Order: sequence, then structure tokens, then C-alpha cells
Amino acid sequence: MSRNLEVFYLPLLFLTVTLLGGVRVAGHVMLLPPPLFTLVLAFLLLGVLVRSGALAPERLMNPARPTLANLSGAVVLIAAFVAATQAFNVAIPESGLPRLLFGVFLFVLLLNTLAASPDRLRVLRSLLVIFGSAFVLKFIVLAALSDPEGGWLKRALQTLLEGLTLGTLTQTVYSPITGYVAFIALTLFFAGLALLPPRRRSALGPPPSYPLPRGELDSPGEV
Amino acid sequence: MAPMRESTARVLGLVLVISYAVFIVWLYVHQPQTVAEMTGALTATVGAYQIDRQAFDDGVRFFRGDQFDAARLAFERADPAHQDPRTQFYIAYSYYRQGWGRVYNDTALFARGLEAVDRAILLADHGRVVVDDPDLQMRSADELKAELQAGLRRDASDLNPLKLFRRRK
Repeated sequence: MSRNLEVFYLPLLFLTVTLLGGVRVAGHVMLLPPPLFTLVLAFLLLGVLVRSGALAPERLMNPARPTLANLSGAVVLIAAFVAATQAFNVAIPESGLPRLLFGVFLFVLLLNTLAASPDRLRVLRSLLVIFGSAFVLKFIVLAALSDPEGGWLKRALQTLLEGLTLGTLTQTVYSPITGYVAFIALTLFFAGLALLPPRRRSALGPPPSYPLPRGELDSPGEV
Repeated sequence: MAPMRESTARVLGLVLVISYAVFIVWLYVHQPQTVAEMTGALTATVGAYQIDRQAFDDGVRFFRGDQFDAARLAFERADPAHQDPRTQFYIAYSYYRQGWGRVYNDTALFARGLEAVDRAILLADHGRVVVDDPDLQMRSADELKAELQAGLRRDASDLNPLKLFRRRK
């Protein structure tokens, strides 16, 4: 991983996700802080990334690196964690039954991924599917159901969900720009995840012990 | 161009990232709605915020002439970022005077007045807002807030016929 990526690009990318993740536009702009549960989900997500080798924290922080380099590494990890909380804040509906269902669904899915221990590529694909599905459900399906004016999609969904009280599903109606901002936030988040330093050894191998052999260490200029 | 020194780059990166993070936290705490609010709040943070004095004087003139809507427009122009406690106090007072009624108060206007006076208290040093204006019977935000809260309260004293003889402050 290049120095500039670690020092500038990754933290700024993740912080931008943090900023955009809470943006909701409904007449006026609101910035929603992440709910407490998203902290748990973000923690699990980082666990999944480390387990799969998509993130190698030892390449960001280890005793062989200078203090400043370790500080930069810590900033990347913290920024990734905060961005993950906001990514879940984007993906989870704000109220009602969908909020509960999405929360439980994501929690179980992350636990399952953690237990399955897939490799880096599979984890990134899996996360893309999880967040992509959550985005479609929240910003297209639920938004259509909650839209008071309605459209063909709302009529089709009402037919499918006949007998179900929509009051438990409907959400706050946001301006369409909220969906675009959310999409940008999630895209940036995935770009950040893909740029995180992966583990160098086999995904199935144990994490390196310290001190690392000279050849395994990043030089100060190329971390 | 020579490459940046390792430690210089890392320190620069840390400063940049911490500044950006502080800015994001600030945005989430203050929730500015417009660019004017954001720039106003930022300049107020460094003590450089100033209201439009001419617009403020216009607002006070309209306020004294019981032209409350016009007064609020002028006050809004004077303090677009909602950062001046004195202007917010006058806005709250305009809602009080406009919403006050001998028989009943306009609760919507009183509620907006309460929002404005809360804003004024929040912005003032130690939450103390005192306006030295002989035209006003309530010169502190505490009195105004208590009056607005009393106006919004519903209780048995609302049925007291003597209330018809009370006077607007």
C-alpha cells in the first residue's frame, strides 16, 4: 500500500462516507448520526474483513513501524470503522418493522459470513450483494410503498402484500436526492474497502506472528 | 518536484484528516440548513460573525409598529445564520406579540417563539440574554421564555374570567 493511500486517500474517502452516510433530504437537509446498533454491525464487519484477509491490521499498525506510521494506520482503522457505521446507517431503514428486520438480517448475515471465513474476494462480493440489496429495498421498494402519491411499483407491491398493514412498512418520505447521495456514499465505501491493505499470506493461513520477518515488513515509504 | 518527506507527509495527513473529522462532527452537531447558516456558524465559532445593522434597525422599527411579519423578514436578513442572540430574542418577541390574544393565544406562533428564544439562550454567553429596550416589558430571554411556555400550557386557570383583563407585555 502506498504511503499517500494510507495517509491521505483512505482516511479522506472513509470520512466522506461518514459525512454522506447521514444525509437525508426531506424539505430540509438532516444529518442523522448512526444508531447504536450500527456500531455493533460495523464491529462485526471489521471482524469479517480481518478474518477474510480483506484487511490486514498488522500492515497498518505493528511494533516495527515508526510511531507516526502507526498513528496513520490507526487513523485508517478508525475511519474505516466510522464509515462502516454510516454505511449501515444508509442501508437500514429509519423506523418500523423494516428497521428491526434489516437489523436482525444484517446481524445474522455478518455472523454467518464470519463463521464461514471466506476469502477476500468472496467477502467483498458478499458485502456488495448485502449492501446492494439493502439499498434497493430501502430506497426503491420501501420508498415506493411510503410515497403518498404512489406509482405503478406501489400498486404492484400492494397487490403482492395484500392483507399486510402498510403502516408497519412505510417510512419517512425523503427527496430522491437522498437516494443518490446514499448510492455515492456506498460506492465510496466499497472503493475504500477494496483499497484496504489485504493480508499477504494465504487466506487460510494464520496471521503473522511478531516480529515479522524482514521481507514481510513494509518499508516506511511503501506501507 | 521532490517527493515529500515521510514525516512531513504523515503529519500533514493527520492534520488534514483530524480537521476534516472535526468539521464533520461540527456539521452533525449544528445541522446547518443553508450555506448562510453554515458560514455564519463557522464565523461565529471564531468570533467574526456580524449582523446586518441596517436590517436589524429596520426590523426593530417594524416590530415597534406591530408589523411583525415584516419585522421578522428584516431580522432574518439581519441574522441569516441565526447566530445573534439579540436578533433571535426580537424574533421570539415578535412571535409572542403576534400570537398573544386576550381570549386565547395562537399556539403555533408561540411554539415558534419558544424555538427562537431557545436559540437565543443557546447562543448567548452563559445563556443570559438581556435586551435594554424601553419599549419591551420583558427584557430578558428567561421572562420571555416563561411567558411563552405559560401561553402554551393548558390548565384550569384558562377558565378564569379575569384573564380577559390581562395585558400584552
